[in-house]
Amino acid sequence: MTDKTMDVFIKKTGGWAASQLEACTRCGICAEACPYYLSTGNPDYTPIWKVELLSRAYQQRYTLVGKVKTALGFNKAISDEDVRDWSLIDFNACSMCGKCAAVCPMGIEINKLIGTVRAGVTAAGYTPKGLMDKAKAQDEFGSPNGDGPEAYADWFASAEKEVGIKVPVDVKGADVLVVFTSLEITGKKSNLYSLAQVLEAGGVSWTTSLEARDAFNMGTIVGNGKLQKKLLGRIYDAAKNLGVKKILVTECGHGFVALRDNMPNIFGEALPFEVTHIAEFLPKLIDDGKIKVDASKYDDGKTYTFHDSCKIQRAGGIMDEPRTALKLLVGDNSFKELASNREEGLCCGGGGGLRAIPEAFDNRMAAFKLKLDEVEEVDADVVVSTCNNCQLQLKEGLGFYNVEDVEVKGLIEMVADALVLN
Amino acid sequence: MTDDSIYGHMKDEGVSRRDFLKMCGLAVGAMGMTSMPPLEASGLPATLNHVEKKSIDHVAKAMETQPRLPVIWLEFQDCTGCSEALTRANAPTLGSLVLDTLTIEHHEALSAAAGFQIEEAKQQAMEKYAGQYVLVVEGSIPTGEHAAYCAIGGRTAEVILKEAAEKAAAIIAIGNCSSFGGLPKASPNPTTAASVTDLITDKPVVNIPGCPPIPEAFVAVITHFALFGVLPELDKLNRPMAFYGKTVHDRCLRRPFYEAGKFALTFDDEGAREGWCLYKLGCKGPTTYNACASIRWDSGLSFPVQSNHPCLGCSEPDFWDGGGFYQGQSAPLQKPSMTTAGVAGAAGLAIGAGMAATAKAKKENKK
Amino acid sequence: MNPQAMLAFARGPFFNVAITFFIAGMLYRIANVIFLGWSKDLSKPRGSKGLGVVKSFLRGGLILPFFPREKKAFVNNPITYLAGGLFHLSLFIVVILGAAHMLAWKSLLGFGWWTLPLPIVDFMAAVGIIAMVMLLINRLNHPVLKRLSGAAEFFNWFLVFVPMVTGYMMTHHMFLPYENLFALHMVSINILLIWIPLSRISHFVFYFFSRTIHGVEWGKRGTMP
Repeated sequence: MTDKTMDVFIKKTGGWAASQLEACTRCGICAEACPYYLSTGNPDYTPIWKVELLSRAYQQRYTLVGKVKTALGFNKAISDEDVRDWSLIDFNACSMCGKCAAVCPMGIEINKLIGTVRAGVTAAGYTPKGLMDKAKAQDEFGSPNGDGPEAYADWFASAEKEVGIKVPVDVKGADVLVVFTSLEITGKKSNLYSLAQVLEAGGVSWTTSLEARDAFNMGTIVGNGKLQKKLLGRIYDAAKNLGVKKILVTECGHGFVALRDNMPNIFGEALPFEVTHIAEFLPKLIDDGKIKVDASKYDDGKTYTFHDSCKIQRAGGIMDEPRTALKLLVGDNSFKELASNREEGLCCGGGGGLRAIPEAFDNRMAAFKLKLDEVEEVDADVVVSTCNNCQLQLKEGLGFYNVEDVEVKGLIEMVADALVLN
Repeated sequence: MTDDSIYGHMKDEGVSRRDFLKMCGLAVGAMGMTSMPPLEASGLPATLNHVEKKSIDHVAKAMETQPRLPVIWLEFQDCTGCSEALTRANAPTLGSLVLDTLTIEHHEALSAAAGFQIEEAKQQAMEKYAGQYVLVVEGSIPTGEHAAYCAIGGRTAEVILKEAAEKAAAIIAIGNCSSFGGLPKASPNPTTAASVTDLITDKPVVNIPGCPPIPEAFVAVITHFALFGVLPELDKLNRPMAFYGKTVHDRCLRRPFYEAGKFALTFDDEGAREGWCLYKLGCKGPTTYNACASIRWDSGLSFPVQSNHPCLGCSEPDFWDGGGFYQGQSAPLQKPSMTTAGVAGAAGLAIGAGMAATAKAKKENKK
Repeated sequence: MNPQAMLAFARGPFFNVAITFFIAGMLYRIANVIFLGWSKDLSKPRGSKGLGVVKSFLRGGLILPFFPREKKAFVNNPITYLAGGLFHLSLFIVVILGAAHMLAWKSLLGFGWWTLPLPIVDFMAAVGIIAMVMLLINRLNHPVLKRLSGAAEFFNWFLVFVPMVTGYMMTHHMFLPYENLFALHMVSINILLIWIPLSRISHFVFYFFSRTIHGVEWGKRGTMP
């Protein structure tokens, strides 16, 4: 099985990865950024240690010193057991949040290298079962929770009843293709209604698609290149067929980054359309005066704070826009930054597919405690996030620690609730 | 008191007791004596044990009891610079101290006699003072198939040295050539020159290196031996600790400029005029053990660094081959060959690129 | 071999072999990475990659060691930040601005430069040595560093430490005669020069790769690298 892991490592190790593997000085500072290490104190969770498998494979196969050491018998070949061990730390104790890359003195993109290790582990078949089941389900049905096109069609249709808006489906020539996350259809159907209201109010020419319905990408999470390409391909083809100018991703983080940054490289061409996220699209609507919001709506004496999601904020770079919008909605005085914010934002603990791995529950809750401490430190009543996965994790965590006075909200619903209709 | 003693000889010369004691004080200073040599080992009369433990009394007592010391002085591959330096020691009392303490039985440059006569005189002296005389050697000794490069009266320097060393009480190698091989031994060493210690291993040898050495150092050693019958404390290179225990750098009058980072960068810049440190002009002071900076030359007049020239390191072995005189003391001895470095670098590049290309090809196969 | 001969050997042929090996080895290391192939990034940048690289180096080179961006990371592992930063500062000051080292560079490069007064260099050398000891203690005690460290890490430490200590002892004439220490200093440096291309001490080259990559990646998305 390790052969398959090696194949993946060989395929993915170019100058980009090699130069960073060579740069590590073993200083251990990355651990101090990792929510899983910080909350559990387990040194195995040190981010760069999660890359050790790849690093070892690189040393053994690509360098002269490594080859000499192998010839002299100093190197231990990577065994099945190693791959299984690394599955436990790379999947169960890593949300690929990338904070380690922010503190690394050498600037190593540790989270991306962990992605490569994940791909190697997946190739060998040691991915945690919970996660792999979701990946298989998405491969089969299109969504990890098994929701097919019919379920989506029903959901889209329900908007008419809920908010009186007929959701455009597969409309050719629309400007914006809205792509959802499967978490919304299972857990937060209202997002569609809120978003539809906002888009209609802003006079946006938009459409949804039954083919390109889900930005969720299990291929990205488990590191299965084929699945990732297949899932991206659906959206890519649909967007091309419909001739849209923009893909608007709703509350999905990893899917957004996969579409914006990975898709062009996977399909080998610069995208003929733009990929944007509601975290920057909605604030722009407000900014451009397309929609009007009633700021007094949130004049409720509550303290609001913003949770930086790893993929949308740190990896996506969309940090100023949601903050501007939020401050406009709740007022500068009601808004408080968490101690770790923006590039240094602390992970909610549930990213990177961790929520689909039952064995990772303890790690997930331990990591969430760090976030909770920061939230309690600023005495926030409402935590606003632009990522649905984060919201679910935050809610679950709050429930786990019996915190009742903190609310979790999405940016879409906040904008929609404050919308002033002409 | 017999007239054989040093003091007896001096009295004959008309030296007063007062002047004698002054000279003893000078000898104490010259020897850099801070402690007494172990008397039991020196073979001196036990009466010395009872004198006051003051260096000067000790020396006076010794001068009153010890006979004058016979010296045989040999010159081989040398320039006579060491002898010159010694005889020109600009301190009359020092010079007379030497002459009063020693009887120089053989010295080619100083002798009136020459040729077979002087050789014969040497043989006689060696017989007469067998086991008592001090052998002073100036200049290096050619060896092996090149031994003939220095021969006197048809006998090679090596043979002459070994013959004279056999009956000597102690040997003093004066100057860098006899101490460490000096200029004749500098690369490529055409005469396979050797130092005294290279050839003589069964006699006590004191090295007094320098080019030339400080005369006071020689005077002190020979006086010490004359008075106490033992050699002074030596370092690992057989140099007397009293003179070679500290580096030139340690005692240098320009040391504060070194500490302060004020350096002369050329011989005619502001720094050189201001008398700043010559380290960057290649001064070897930090690695050179000698008393130049404290005793100086010509009665304490000056020494090279004071005269605005970096130390060459002449009291150290192989100083001719120790890098350029004006090249930093910390610099590598030779510049690495650019060709070798270029070839090695190209090889490194090629191996790296080759390995990477193979890996890349493998990687593309997997796609 | 007596110290003089050892010194002559270490300053002469051995040094030449070491520096030649060092040059060849480092070129090999760089080539081995560069020629592995680099894929072109086709995604649309949100910010300036160039600006990201500039910020990346400003942040990583000047600010990060002493003013860490993440307060908590600093609090949890201050020794790595402080001692690590001070060690590198000491290294640059001593090796580049120390008069003796500058003369060695001058003989190799053909040009020299201004140097710092000895007391400052000396103080920084002491700081560097203390920092190294702190780093070793930290490496032996911190759970993460214990996890990450193998024999190679300690060997690296040792090979870097010996030239620092011998150099310091040399300027202070401690324990051994100057030339013996000089010889040890040169021998240890030569061994270090040979060891660098074979070890992670070569990170000083890959630092420029990884920080550039970091700057590109983070600059591209418009975040502060």
